[in-house]
Amino acid sequence: MPGYERLASAILSGDQATAAGETRGALEGGADPQAVLDAMTAAMDIVGARFQSGQIFVPEMLVSARAMKEAMAVLEPILTASGIHPEHTAIIGSIKGDIHDIGKNIVAMMWRGANFEVVDLGVNVMPARFVEAAREHRAAIIGISALLSTTMLGMRDAVRAIRAAEDLAGATIIVGGAPVTGEFATAIGADAYAPNAAAAVDVARAAVGIGTSAPSAS
Amino acid sequence: MTGARDAGAGPAGGSRELVLRHLAGLPVDRLPAMPITMMFAARLAGVPYADYCRDATVLARAQGLVADTFGFDHVSCISDPTREASDLGATIQWFDDQPPAIDESDALLAEPRHLAALRPADPLGGGRMTDRIRAVELLRAGGGSTRIVEGWVEGPIAEGADLRGINTLMLDFYDDPGFVGELFDFATEGAMAFAGAQVDAGVDIVGIGDAAASLVGPSLYEEFVWPREKRLIDRIHGLGAKVRLHICGNMSRSVGAMARLGADIIDLDSLVPLEAARVAAGPDQVLLGNLNPVTELMGSTPEAITNRLAACHRAAGSRWIVGAGCEIPAATPRENVAALVAYARTSVGTA
Repeated sequence: MPGYERLASAILSGDQATAAGETRGALEGGADPQAVLDAMTAAMDIVGARFQSGQIFVPEMLVSARAMKEAMAVLEPILTASGIHPEHTAIIGSIKGDIHDIGKNIVAMMWRGANFEVVDLGVNVMPARFVEAAREHRAAIIGISALLSTTMLGMRDAVRAIRAAEDLAGATIIVGGAPVTGEFATAIGADAYAPNAAAAVDVARAAVGIGTSAPSAS
Repeated sequence: MTGARDAGAGPAGGSRELVLRHLAGLPVDRLPAMPITMMFAARLAGVPYADYCRDATVLARAQGLVADTFGFDHVSCISDPTREASDLGATIQWFDDQPPAIDESDALLAEPRHLAALRPADPLGGGRMTDRIRAVELLRAGGGSTRIVEGWVEGPIAEGADLRGINTLMLDFYDDPGFVGELFDFATEGAMAFAGAQVDAGVDIVGIGDAAASLVGPSLYEEFVWPREKRLIDRIHGLGAKVRLHICGNMSRSVGAMARLGADIIDLDSLVPLEAARVAAGPDQVLLGNLNPVTELMGSTPEAITNRLAACHRAAGSRWIVGAGCEIPAATPRENVAALVAYARTSVGTA
């Protein structure tokens, strides 16, 4: 995004100090907070595109997400004071019995990078907790993760519990994790399957009607 | 150390001799079948998975049962990734009927400086590693002259992730690469000692699981992981045993590097296209795999499994062992597992 090249570059390279410094400098120079946020989001879109195309891998994605988080720590109070809030909330958790979390954590970070309000429910999340949290936070997106072929089967119970709650009919259930497939997602009644974190951003955006600008990975 | 047996040693060997001949590039009259079964074996034996992981007699009985029932060419000690970390003092979370897992919120090496004070665990010290040694002895005694007995150790990055926490380790590659190298060296030394004890107890093959390797790209893999895997594999070969390297996840871009390690078997996840893997690995590398365990095995039919295996066979050629891309899920129908073995029993050479 023109004017924020150094901020974008810092996020792409995972340089958290520079990302925070550039954000601070931009705001002190009178930059529009929304424009700074858009620049960060655009940078994270490039991170997602590079991940999907195999140019970068999990470590690179995580250091970029961490740089974005540092920059957001500077920007967030200004956004709040300006009345700018994420429009959509996503909740996410690893399914009951599953304490593996790296996939879930990456998706949560990428959703934050795409300007979703994200409530991370952690690991070993019971079906009723997904329902309760989705209600409490008026979630548009419910993300459920599993790493094991055994715990994956518990996703069916979570989906069933969410479907039984009529007031959550508008929420989109997205499932993912190493053993999960699109066929399995369909079979258990989930709305969508995300094969990786970048795809999870695309699916979540599509669910809430946000278009993507198909960022270049270069 | 007594070392593993040569292909020609021991009683007329059935499955064991077949596998060793196949690995040596000698003619065989059919393909071997060596799928990973852990929870499937426990389910077949009617035992909770926690018991399978904690008690060598339970594991050995279940492995014997699953191999007898379906005609596998091996029995294996693989159960879960936490044995080494557990003996080093890591906090493990247990479940009744699924694998134990590392509690990353209480990682043993949450502080990198604690690595310097960490002493290697003794494989014979009476902990969970010793339980695996006991399993090897039981498996060797209960049919090990006719079937391959497979041991198992965690590879450098898998063990490093167990000790440091996988989320934190991913950041360490950029924040503190020197620590990553020291951590992987520590893990590799521990794996060498554990593998040695298993060879002493009588394994033919040592499996190395290095799952987290698929999370990093080829560059970090070759800089940090590959040299340690190479050292570990060379040590196991020096002890007289064969090596099966299994890395969960998509290692498509690193198959060539994996093949250069010299492991006797490269066991590939279903995410890796076998045809491209064969090109990258060269014509002589034995490949194993790689049906998707959930969609192409658990949720499939015997006919579809046969067809899919034939496709794998065409892609991999004759230097291939029948198996899934990872563990056979517990809920897989028995007839599907039987179809997998039936393919091996009736197939030889290039499809």
